[in-house]
Amino acid sequence: MPCPVRSRLSLTRCLLMLATLDVVTLSRLQFALTAIFHMLWPVLSTGLAIYLVVLEAIWLRTRNPLYYRQARFWAKLYVLNFGIGVASGLPMEFQFGTNWAPLSEFAGDFFGSVLGFEGAMAFMLEAGFLGIMLFGWQKVPPVIHFLSTVMVAFGANLSVFWILSANSWLQTPSGGTFSDGHFHVQNYFAAINNPFMVRSVIHMALATVETSMLVVAAISAWSLMRQKAPEFFLFSFKLALVILLAVAPLQILAGHESAVQVAEHQPTKLAAIEALWDDQAAGSSPAWTVLASPDEASGSNRWSLSVPGAFSWILETRPQLSQPLRGLNSWPADQRPHMVGLLFYAFRVMVAIGLAAAALMALSLLLWWRGGLSAASFAQWPWFSWAWILSAPAGYLAIESGWVVRCVGRQPWTVYGQLRTADAASVLPVGEVLTSLSVFAVLYTVLLVFALYFGSRIIAKGPNLTLEPPGLAAPVILPDRSGNV
Amino acid sequence: MEFLEWFMPTVWFVILALFLLLYVILDGFDLGVGILSLTSPSESQRTILMTSLGNVWDANETWLVLMGGALFGAFPLAYGTILKALYGPIYLMILGLILRAVAFEFRENATNKRPWNLMFGIGSVLAAGSQGICLGTVLSGIPTDAAGHFTGSVWIWVNPSSLVVALTLIQGYVLIGSTYLILKTSGELQRLHVRTARLAAATTLGGALLITFTAPFASETLRQRLFDPAFLPFFVVLPLLGVALIVQLFRSLAMQQEVWPFAYTVLLFILSFAGLGVMVFPAVIPPSVTIFQASSSVSSMVFMLTFIGVLIPIMLFYNIYNYIAFRGKASAE
Repeated sequence: MPCPVRSRLSLTRCLLMLATLDVVTLSRLQFALTAIFHMLWPVLSTGLAIYLVVLEAIWLRTRNPLYYRQARFWAKLYVLNFGIGVASGLPMEFQFGTNWAPLSEFAGDFFGSVLGFEGAMAFMLEAGFLGIMLFGWQKVPPVIHFLSTVMVAFGANLSVFWILSANSWLQTPSGGTFSDGHFHVQNYFAAINNPFMVRSVIHMALATVETSMLVVAAISAWSLMRQKAPEFFLFSFKLALVILLAVAPLQILAGHESAVQVAEHQPTKLAAIEALWDDQAAGSSPAWTVLASPDEASGSNRWSLSVPGAFSWILETRPQLSQPLRGLNSWPADQRPHMVGLLFYAFRVMVAIGLAAAALMALSLLLWWRGGLSAASFAQWPWFSWAWILSAPAGYLAIESGWVVRCVGRQPWTVYGQLRTADAASVLPVGEVLTSLSVFAVLYTVLLVFALYFGSRIIAKGPNLTLEPPGLAAPVILPDRSGNV
Repeated sequence: MEFLEWFMPTVWFVILALFLLLYVILDGFDLGVGILSLTSPSESQRTILMTSLGNVWDANETWLVLMGGALFGAFPLAYGTILKALYGPIYLMILGLILRAVAFEFRENATNKRPWNLMFGIGSVLAAGSQGICLGTVLSGIPTDAAGHFTGSVWIWVNPSSLVVALTLIQGYVLIGSTYLILKTSGELQRLHVRTARLAAATTLGGALLITFTAPFASETLRQRLFDPAFLPFFVVLPLLGVALIVQLFRSLAMQQEVWPFAYTVLLFILSFAGLGVMVFPAVIPPSVTIFQASSSVSSMVFMLTFIGVLIPIMLFYNIYNYIAFRGKASAE
C-alpha cells in the first residue's frame, strides 16, 4: 500500500484515505499486513531449527564445546524470533472467522480441518518441545535434548507443509465438488495433495532454509568484519555456506518448476507477472520483458526493455512455445488480477534476489577453494562482508515478494475460479475493520523496531565463549584459541 | 449413517470442550501469573515468576490455536458466526496475547525491564478480560437468522453480564496462577501467593455466585434448562461438589499445602466447565444453533477425528513430559 507515513499530516491523509475504502478492501489490507508481518518470523523458526539440529548433531558427535556454544548462541536469536511468530500467528487463524466468515463457511470442511491438523501436528509439536530445547540442557539427557531439537525442527517444517497445502488448495482447489455455496470434499488426500501442493511446499521449505542461512551468514560476516569471535563466526559462516550451496540451486529449480505450474493452472497470474497483454500463439517466440511500465488503462506497456525470443526459453527451455499463451487483454476485467505493475516487479525482485544470492555463494565458494576465505578476508574486503550482510534482508524481501505474487496474482479469486474475494469477506462495519487494521499497523511497526533492536543487541553482545557444556562432572578448561571476545 | 450424524458432532463438541478446558486451565495459570507479576515486590522475584512460565507458555497458548482450528474444521458456521459477533473482544484478546508474548521475549533481553513488565501484566489482564467477555457474550446468546448468520449489533458484547463474567474469569485466572506459584516457588514468594490465592478464591466465588443467580434472569434458554427436570441431577450434584471443593481449597491454603491448592483449583475449573457444558449442550451458537446444524459434513469430521484423535494422547504425553522434566521449584537464573 503506497501509504505516505513521513509526516503526521500525510499520516492523517492516509487514514482519511483508508476511511473511504470499502470493507472488503480493508479486510484484504488487514490480511495482507498481518500476513506480511507474520511471515517474517516462521522463516527462522523453520530454517534456523534445521541449523540447530545440525549444530547439536555435530556437538554430540565431537563433544567439542565450540559447537555447543554455537547451538546456544543461535538459539538465543531463535527464541526471540519464535515468540513473535507465535503471537503474530494468532490473528492469521482468527481472521478467517472474524473477517472472512463466508470463506469459512464455504470451505471450512476442508480448509478448517487443515488448519486444525497444523495446530495438532505441527504447532503443538514445536511448542511442546521448545521449552526442553531452550531450557532443558541441564534437565534431560543429551539424547532427549537432541530429540527435542529434532521435534522442534520437524514440527516447524510440518507447519510449512500444512499451511502451503491449504494455500495451494486456494490456488488449485481439488478433491471435491462445489454446490450450493459449499465445497464438498470427496477425497481428502486429493484435496491435500492438490496440483500446487508438492512444488509449493518444496519452494517454501527451501526458502526458509535459504533465508535462515543468509541470516546466519550475514550475522557471521558482520561479526567477522569487526573481528569479533573470529573462529566462532568463521565456522558458522562456512557451515551456513555449505548448506546454502546445496539449497540455492535446488531453489532456482523449484522456483522455475513453480512458474511452469502457474502457466498451466493460473494463466491469468502468469500473464500478469510477465506483463503479457496480448495472446501468443503456439510455435511463436515471444520476447521476454525484463523491465516495463505496465499500463492497465490501455492494456499495454508504456515502455519496456525486452530480450527478443527469450520467453519460451525461460518458461519451457525451448525456442518456441509449445502451448498458446493468453494475454491479459483476452480476459474480462473481472476475471483477471489487477495491480499488474506490483505483480510484475514483485516477481522480478524475488528472482533477482535468488540469482544474486546464488552468485554471491558461488563467489564465496571460489574464494574458499582458492584458500582465500579466512576470518581476515571479511575485514579486508568490506564490500564482501556487506554483500553478505545485505543478503539477509534481501532473503526476507524475496519471500515476501513471492507471497505477493502468489496471493495478489490469484485475485479476483480467494478460491481460484470458485469463490470471489468480494464474496469471501464478512459484511462488517467499516469502522470496526478500520480500527483493528490501524491498531495492527501501529503495533507491528513498533514490534518490528524493537525486535530488530533486541536482535542486534544479542548479535552485538556475541556468543559466550566460556560456556561449559552440560554433563561434565568437572569443568574442563579448554584453551581459548579465538583469543578475543 | 444416522448414528454418525448424531455421534460425530457430539464427539467434536466434547473434543472442543477438552481443548478449551485444557486452554483455560493451562493458559489460565499463565495469564494469572502474568497478572500477578504486576504485584511482584522485586525484579528477582518477578524473574522467578517468568521462569516458571518459560518452558510452557507457548505450548499452553497452542491449545487455543488448536481449539480455533478444531472449531473451524468441525463447525465452520459457528466459527464464522461467533467470531464475527465477537470481533471486538477477539481482537482485544489477540492484542493482549501479542503484547504478552513479545513482552516476555523482550524483557529477557532488555536492560530496563520496567516497560516490558508493565506490558506483560497489562497484556495478561487484557487477554483474560476479553476471554471473559467472549464467554459471557456467548452464554447470554448470539442472535442469528434462520441460516445461523449473526444478526446482532457490533456492540453486543458490551453489557453488564459480560463484564461480570470477565471480572470473574480474571479472578479465576489469578486464583489458578496463585496456586501454580505456590507449587513452583518457596519462602516469601510462596507465602505471598498463599495470600493472593485466598483473596482470589473469595472474589472468584463471589463472581461465580453472582453469575449463577443472575444468568437465569438474563437468558430465557438458561432459565428453561435450569428448571428442566431432566437436568435436575446435574444442578444438584454440581453445586454440592463445588461447595465441597471450595471448602477443601480454603483448608489446604490454611494448612500451607503445596500441591493440593492447585489440584483443587483445577478440579473447580473442571466442575465449572462441566456446568457450562450442561447449560449449553447441544447448542454451539447459543441459544438456537445446535452442533448438528452447524457441523461440517460427517466425512469431514471422521477424517479430522482420525488425524487429530490419534494425536490427542500423543500431544498430552509430550506436554506432560515437559512438565515432568521441569518439575520442582522455579529459580531466578
